[in-house]
Amino acid sequence: MNIRNELLCIWSAVLFVIIFTIGIWPLTHFLPPHLPTASAEEIAALYQDRTWQIRLGLFLMMGCSGLVCAFVAAITVAMKRMEQGAGPLTYTQLSAGSLGAVLLIIPCLVWTVAAFRPDRDPQLTLLLNDMGWIMLFMPFTTFVVQNIAIGLAILGDRNAAPVMPRWVGFLNLWVAVLFVPGGLLTFFKKGPFAWSGVFVYWVPLVVFLGWYLVMFAMLRKSAINAHHESRLAASVLALDAIKADQAS
Amino acid sequence: MSEHTARRTPHLPGETGVWVFILGDMLMFAAFFIVFMFYRGEDVALYAKSQLTLNQHLGAVNTFLMLSSSWCVAVAVETARGGRPRGAQVWLLSAMACAVGFVVVKFFEYSEKIAAGFTLTSNDFFMYYYMLTGLHLMHVLLGLGVLNYLWFTLRAPPAASTLRTLESGASFWHMVDILWIVLFALLYLVR
Amino acid sequence: MAGILKLRVTWLWLFLIAATVASWEFGHGLGFGENIRLSTTAVIVIAFIKARMVILDFMEIRHAPPGLRLLLEAWTLGVATTLLALYWQSA
Repeated sequence: MNIRNELLCIWSAVLFVIIFTIGIWPLTHFLPPHLPTASAEEIAALYQDRTWQIRLGLFLMMGCSGLVCAFVAAITVAMKRMEQGAGPLTYTQLSAGSLGAVLLIIPCLVWTVAAFRPDRDPQLTLLLNDMGWIMLFMPFTTFVVQNIAIGLAILGDRNAAPVMPRWVGFLNLWVAVLFVPGGLLTFFKKGPFAWSGVFVYWVPLVVFLGWYLVMFAMLRKSAINAHHESRLAASVLALDAIKADQAS
Repeated sequence: MSEHTARRTPHLPGETGVWVFILGDMLMFAAFFIVFMFYRGEDVALYAKSQLTLNQHLGAVNTFLMLSSSWCVAVAVETARGGRPRGAQVWLLSAMACAVGFVVVKFFEYSEKIAAGFTLTSNDFFMYYYMLTGLHLMHVLLGLGVLNYLWFTLRAPPAASTLRTLESGASFWHMVDILWIVLFALLYLVR
Repeated sequence: MAGILKLRVTWLWLFLIAATVASWEFGHGLGFGENIRLSTTAVIVIAFIKARMVILDFMEIRHAPPGLRLLLEAWTLGVATTLLALYWQSA
């Protein structure tokens, strides 16, 4: 069993979180968020004043999002150990998680279009800005499904030594619940349920990054354990073979 | 049947992991409650006026239904511990009946409000009203699923692990009750 | 059937119903007359007393490990006080 590849995928999480944070925070200044109530002129000014920072920041955010696929793969490998049989939950997580990566990339590209010609008609820049925000924070669906799949798989793990502690399963289910209010940003331009609001922007952002790091720690532990177990099993097999040789 | 003798050693109801979910959920709702109260303070007149349109009687009925379902679940757990799974199943069904009643009442309440023209985007009060009771309703529906599952686990005299699962589900349900107790006060009664 | 009357949880349920009725009455003007601030304070306090009773005796936290009990008591007290503070600041 090759643990190196697995650890590589798992450690991609750290790289992703660091690069994404640098992109969204000091570079683009998309943290804290733009307000849905801001005027077209105000938004256009943001893109005109910080053009190269926004372009670079978005480049980084988009660039590191591919790493999500590696992390999803690491989760998939761990889930394969949990689920007996064909593993439908594993595949659910794989597809939902992979789509999640796309949902991070596309808004970055849309915002990049806005930053590409910052001297456009401000109404157009406003449109593209709206698009990016809505695309990043509204599609809770794949993340919710992904987290529920992980939660159910962990809780349904019937191995003698469970792949992950059960509380991680419950954590994933809780995280799924926290992503849901994001979908309601469509109704509001201000308040806690707008895209700038505490329950749509801050909670999902903090929860997503926090979940990433918790899963990183748990996956690492679980991979190392699985590796030890398989080496142990391999040694036992080797010893049995030697004994059989000696006996004959 | 015997009521439990007082435990000297602490006993964690259910499994450890479920408390991650329960406490997390309580934290999230605490944030909702506090945010609601904060924004209410900025526009008391609007909130007070809108509150008058709420059907307080339906709210009270729902509170009784929630409290009763919680009681049924508590008795179910005691009954299961006493080694009577069939009895426990009956209590679980009663709890589920109360929960279904809650959902039906909510349906009528929402219909009434929407027919009168009060929707999610009518004003800030109604935003919170629908969001908070809606999210709570989601939890009631989830809880119904959990109670249903628990009913199935009690088809035979429960093993220790079954009892633990029962306690886990029961704890979740009690949380749903607690959240409604606070919601009822905040949305319907606070003036 | 009489067995359930002996259960602590049954008495608790009856008390919770009574507390709900009391809360309702206070919320509709009983006892505090024109003083809405006080009646609302009573409503909030009663709500969290009810919540605490469900926590301690339905959820059985009274007999749970002290750490968990502390967390839940802290939740009850913390949320109640914050809500009351916000209410008094505004009303």
